[in-house]
Amino acid sequence: MSRRARHTRTQVLRHILLSCAAVLMLYPLLWMIMSSFKPDELIFSEPAALPTSLDLSSYFEGWTALRTSFTTFYMNSFIIAALAVIGNLMACSLTAYAFARLEFKGRKIWFALMLGTLMLPYHVTLVPQYVLFLKFGWVNTFLPLIVPKFLAVDAFFIFLMVQFFRGIPREIDEAAIMDGCGPWRIYWKIMLPLSTPVMATAAIFSFIWTYDDFLGPLIYLNDIDSYTVPLALRAFVDSSGGESLYGELFAMSTLSLVPVFIVFLAFQRLIIRGVALGALKR
Amino acid sequence: MTAQDLDTLAAPGAAVRTPRRRGLLRNRHVVGYLFLSPWIVGFLCLTLGPILASLYLSMTSYDLFNAPQWLGLENYRKLFFDDERYLQSLSVTFRYVAMSVPLKLAFALGVAMLLNRGLAGLGFYRSIYYLPSLLGGSVAIAIMWRQIFSYDGVINRILEQFGIFGPSWISNPDYSLYTLVTLAVWQFGSPMVIFLAGLKQIPQDLYDAAAIDGAGPLHKFFFVTLPMLTPIIFFNFVMQLIGAFQAFTPSYIISNGTGGPADSTLFYTLYLYEQGFTNFRMGYASAIAWILVGIIASATAISFLSAKYWVHYGDED
Repeated sequence: MSRRARHTRTQVLRHILLSCAAVLMLYPLLWMIMSSFKPDELIFSEPAALPTSLDLSSYFEGWTALRTSFTTFYMNSFIIAALAVIGNLMACSLTAYAFARLEFKGRKIWFALMLGTLMLPYHVTLVPQYVLFLKFGWVNTFLPLIVPKFLAVDAFFIFLMVQFFRGIPREIDEAAIMDGCGPWRIYWKIMLPLSTPVMATAAIFSFIWTYDDFLGPLIYLNDIDSYTVPLALRAFVDSSGGESLYGELFAMSTLSLVPVFIVFLAFQRLIIRGVALGALKR
Repeated sequence: MTAQDLDTLAAPGAAVRTPRRRGLLRNRHVVGYLFLSPWIVGFLCLTLGPILASLYLSMTSYDLFNAPQWLGLENYRKLFFDDERYLQSLSVTFRYVAMSVPLKLAFALGVAMLLNRGLAGLGFYRSIYYLPSLLGGSVAIAIMWRQIFSYDGVINRILEQFGIFGPSWISNPDYSLYTLVTLAVWQFGSPMVIFLAGLKQIPQDLYDAAAIDGAGPLHKFFFVTLPMLTPIIFFNFVMQLIGAFQAFTPSYIISNGTGGPADSTLFYTLYLYEQGFTNFRMGYASAIAWILVGIIASATAISFLSAKYWVHYGDED
């Protein structure tokens, strides 16, 4: 067999292996999506079959199956996620700019402290933060989920931005200083516009992590009207005992994946590049 | 009127001649701290303060309503000697970490090897394999997993075709932890993406040189790829290790918040949550959290110490 033919054969083999593995990996997702379009009695009796018709009743019934409708849950989730993104971008970029570009007393110590919080498991601050927010009367509001983002608690994003800002040539700042720009203008007019890739990456991951967050809302939100989508899904499992409302449960679970999936489709390259930098932890 | 205003009144050209203008908002130290102020407030009030408070609370009994009562190291003693569920949660978590991290990395590296080097459609496969990592942390996926491994779930339906009648994987204490391990391994996409980036960095001439020396694909893998990749393996290992110790959502959803059946999926963080936020034993929960910090810090430290024996950084030889 010629070298070329052997090469083609291994390529074909690899494609077969990889596509089989891909189908296997996505099968659970496909099964859930297919099931969400089927009447309940068919979900488990013919698990592999494609739905014969597009039955949307699970979606309509699931949307209002709890005491509060999913309209509220999605509103809550999006409000929290949007504010978290804004908070993270503002606070982390200000901090990162100070660490990357400004000279002031104590900078090195603060920077070391910031790096120290990178690896810290957040469980260690969970209890005292809860006590603090309880004293403020913030429990059962969105504030405990939002305010920390405006105080740049996610050191990881600061780190990401510091790395990026350091890569921007200093000559640009120096030219701006010669033109009479102060640090605020340099930050706002030069650094931020030049940093769209890192800001977009931070925004994407802030959104996904906040939208998917379960422990935070579980601790702070007790009233069903303030539930986020993940909490509502958990309540769904509880209320149905997991037995009779499979179709509705799958419909709502499938729907809850759509926002993250859209973000993934829209920003695939940015997400993959961000992960490949070896910087992103999940 | 400030000193600077007087200065500029006296000599309008002065500010231009001396580039360093005074004024509070022009002082570089003040400006630096202004930029840093949101983070400093957050760091002091939401990180450093709580860390110290948590250390103190871990030595008290505190139920949120009455003032904390000093107990010294009693909470820690109780955890290790008088709390079987805590020891169970430790054992479950260590088994979970010991199984899921190596398996996840092995899959990540294996698939990355298959994807590497001039395969058409690489981007497409990479996206598909990465997708579960991105979706995997959500409640929806945990719910899906629970149904797949239930008694009448898809897994058993497929096994039936081969004449095997499986148990309910999630409600059998012998198997329930494995369903969580498979869920973690299913999300091998993000270390895989990092491995792919690392594989691309390995210079082609190393492979060419190995080929001239008569090395086959296996030799190339063990003597070129693997050693060159050790820094990436190390990075992935540490990140996955830290993440696995802190896993919460899958265990909560799959066991309905109980850690059951028979505490077989009682993750460390689930027990912490239960003690702190269901039983309101805030002091006890703080002690549990501090031991977690200790565990993660030691695991990381051991990894770093071991690194000098197996991680090769390009520039040392």
